[in-house]
Amino acid sequence: MLKNYFKIAIAVLRRRKFFTFISLFGISFTLTILMVLTAFIDKVVNDNYPDRKRDRSLYLGNIELRGKESMNSSSFSYYFLTHFAGSMKTPEMIAISSRSNSTNTYVNNRKITIDYKYTNADYWNVLDYDFIEGKAFTKQQSDNGDRVVVISEDKKKEYFGDDNSPAVGKYIEADNVKYRICGVVRSIPITAYNFYADIYLPITTMKTNPASDKGYMGGFVAVLLAKSTDDVPKMQQEYATLISKLPIPGKEWDHIYSHADPYIQSYVRTGNEEKSGMLYAIGAVVIFALFVMLLPTLNLVNVNITRIMERSSEIGVRKAFGASSKTLVYQFIVENMILTFLGSLIGVVFSIVVMYFINSAKLIANLDLTLNFTVLCYALLTCIVFGLLSGVYPAWRMSKLNIVTALKAQ
Amino acid sequence: MIWNKKKQNSLLISEIFLSFLVIFGVFSFAINSYRNYITPMGIEYKNLWAISYNHTLETNNPDSVTLVYENLLRNIKAMPQVLSASYSTGNIPFASNHMSTGITYKKEQIMNINQYTSDENFPKTMGAKMVAGRWYNKGDAVNRDRIIVINEKLKEKMFGKEDAIGKVFGDYDDKKKVKIIGVVNSVKYEGDYQRPGYGMYKLHDTASYKWMGKIMVKVTPGTDAGFEGKLYKLMATTLKKSNIEIEHLDNKLRGANNFTLIPLIIFSIVAAFLIINVALGIFGVLWYNINKRKGEIGLRRAIGAPASSVSMQIVAESLIITTLSLILGTFFAVQFPLLHVFDLPAGVYILAICLAIAFIYLLVFICSLHPGRQAAAVYPAVALHEE
Repeated sequence: MLKNYFKIAIAVLRRRKFFTFISLFGISFTLTILMVLTAFIDKVVNDNYPDRKRDRSLYLGNIELRGKESMNSSSFSYYFLTHFAGSMKTPEMIAISSRSNSTNTYVNNRKITIDYKYTNADYWNVLDYDFIEGKAFTKQQSDNGDRVVVISEDKKKEYFGDDNSPAVGKYIEADNVKYRICGVVRSIPITAYNFYADIYLPITTMKTNPASDKGYMGGFVAVLLAKSTDDVPKMQQEYATLISKLPIPGKEWDHIYSHADPYIQSYVRTGNEEKSGMLYAIGAVVIFALFVMLLPTLNLVNVNITRIMERSSEIGVRKAFGASSKTLVYQFIVENMILTFLGSLIGVVFSIVVMYFINSAKLIANLDLTLNFTVLCYALLTCIVFGLLSGVYPAWRMSKLNIVTALKAQ
Repeated sequence: MIWNKKKQNSLLISEIFLSFLVIFGVFSFAINSYRNYITPMGIEYKNLWAISYNHTLETNNPDSVTLVYENLLRNIKAMPQVLSASYSTGNIPFASNHMSTGITYKKEQIMNINQYTSDENFPKTMGAKMVAGRWYNKGDAVNRDRIIVINEKLKEKMFGKEDAIGKVFGDYDDKKKVKIIGVVNSVKYEGDYQRPGYGMYKLHDTASYKWMGKIMVKVTPGTDAGFEGKLYKLMATTLKKSNIEIEHLDNKLRGANNFTLIPLIIFSIVAAFLIINVALGIFGVLWYNINKRKGEIGLRRAIGAPASSVSMQIVAESLIITTLSLILGTFFAVQFPLLHVFDLPAGVYILAICLAIAFIYLLVFICSLHPGRQAAAVYPAVALHEE
């Protein structure tokens, strides 16, 4: 039966080439937009370079003090992360890093802007950066306060030129201090803001001692790594207990909020306890997707009705020979799905082209959009929704046609 | 005729209605950006640099701190390529860094006022012009808490056309009173495509050096990275433990503009495709309708209607449908200026509505021209024979 439907569908599509073109254009274009959008979200949210141990990790992003009249929200002080979070039992390791800051350096009358980040030695064990040359600085070097640095591949090219000679052992100057390069890592896009930097320095080389500030707030974030995935809920629980027992630092505050979140929650946390970042992010994406899909769907419904009404004689004959409304509706939905899938195939081709252009335009450096399995799955899902949305109403209208009028129409 | 087929037309109407809203949205965005673009920037951002520093001096003696920072500024100014330099708070142009406050004037609170703190060289360094009154001078340091300079936009909000100089207003709680001594022109702090906000400028005191965090430097045209390196070294040797960064305001402006331009370009591309989609759809539906109504058209032709009148009928019918959906669309669009959604000036919305209406009419007209002509080409004999 399905085979017959398929044959009919192809025949119908070839009969009215103009309508077929309109439908395919609408479907493929809409899917292209949605696919590029999902590819972008997938890349930003699901790409697990450099934090490959995501299922064992919890992310500490910010701490919020709340009082009756005031609210203060910021990332952590180094003191808090080493003294309080560092004393937790469940985590195997804790990666501490500062938020990235910019500075300049001047090489041969050229100005180079460098985003730098201070990290502890465990940072390199918790996170799996891909080392192109050399390796990370060790705990020993960090404890000694050695002026060593891990730099990104992009910055190596910018600083030392495009030749492939090794950079390890050379010196790079930042903030008027020379650091010896001990490793080069593959660059990451700025959208992974917790891990992005051009150069990574040991915290011990900071010009001011970060541990001297005994407040809770400062410029550091952390990743807690559990021994196994089973320990993650326990670790989250331990952190919650820790926060609830934390002494409140002043009279103007009555609550302290801070959460150890899995990656996605930490990424969209707004820094305001009263608003859920997750809800905002999902809401924005859904509204945009609906907005993009609504017009083409309406258009497709319109065109489909026109197409189906054109075939009223065929429907009349089939009904006269005893086909039930259900079979007819089924047939037309299948036909419409075939059309949708054809359109989505074209859409996939379009999206590959569009992604290629976005990647080569380098809107965001190191953010390479790719069409992977997840994105394809989402595309398939939207495709089905799209096909059903635009097929059901016309099919229902058609199935209600009166046999006599349908036959008389011609 | 149209009423009889209201079911079929309702889909077409809602489609045109939605397209209208999309077009209206894109036009409002574009017109608003354009209107902001043509208002003057308010400062001379070319050859203007911003140096960031943080306070890391080891001494706690306020006098020596002040001395270090004052000497630093003097040394920067003494460099040959530097035309002028001044301290400023972190909310410099195009930095998307905000410090806002509220004030009370005649019992009425005005919120979201950007508060800038800087020194007496500020207008000269930035290239801002005084509209009325004067900027701060050395002698104002004594009573800096009692005087204020506001920007033109805030002046218009508070006083309209009246003169602002010498007027007094209170802070957020209406406690501390300050007197206006000058009005400076409004500056588009968020880049070319964003409106200037309300602003007021305070004079710094010696304690502010610790947290202001920026030095604005105006240099002569053609100054190269070599000089910038020297400037950097001067900063780095004076403030040894500080993190120093020098940024060029024209680069920052480009970054700030992208925040408006990239969404605008993406929306326009998406909208353009949606509209092409809709146009093809309308075209297809009309075309089909003509084929179905061959009998009626043939009859009209047979009893002597000229070809032009037949094609006019088709075009007119589609324009009537358009009018119906535009009435609906305008009703919704008018809510935007009435309810002050997004706080854009009403003129932008009204212009956007007019342009969107014209655009949709034109679109439908073009889409119905060909089906109309096709209808006119129907031979009465053939059409009636079919029936």
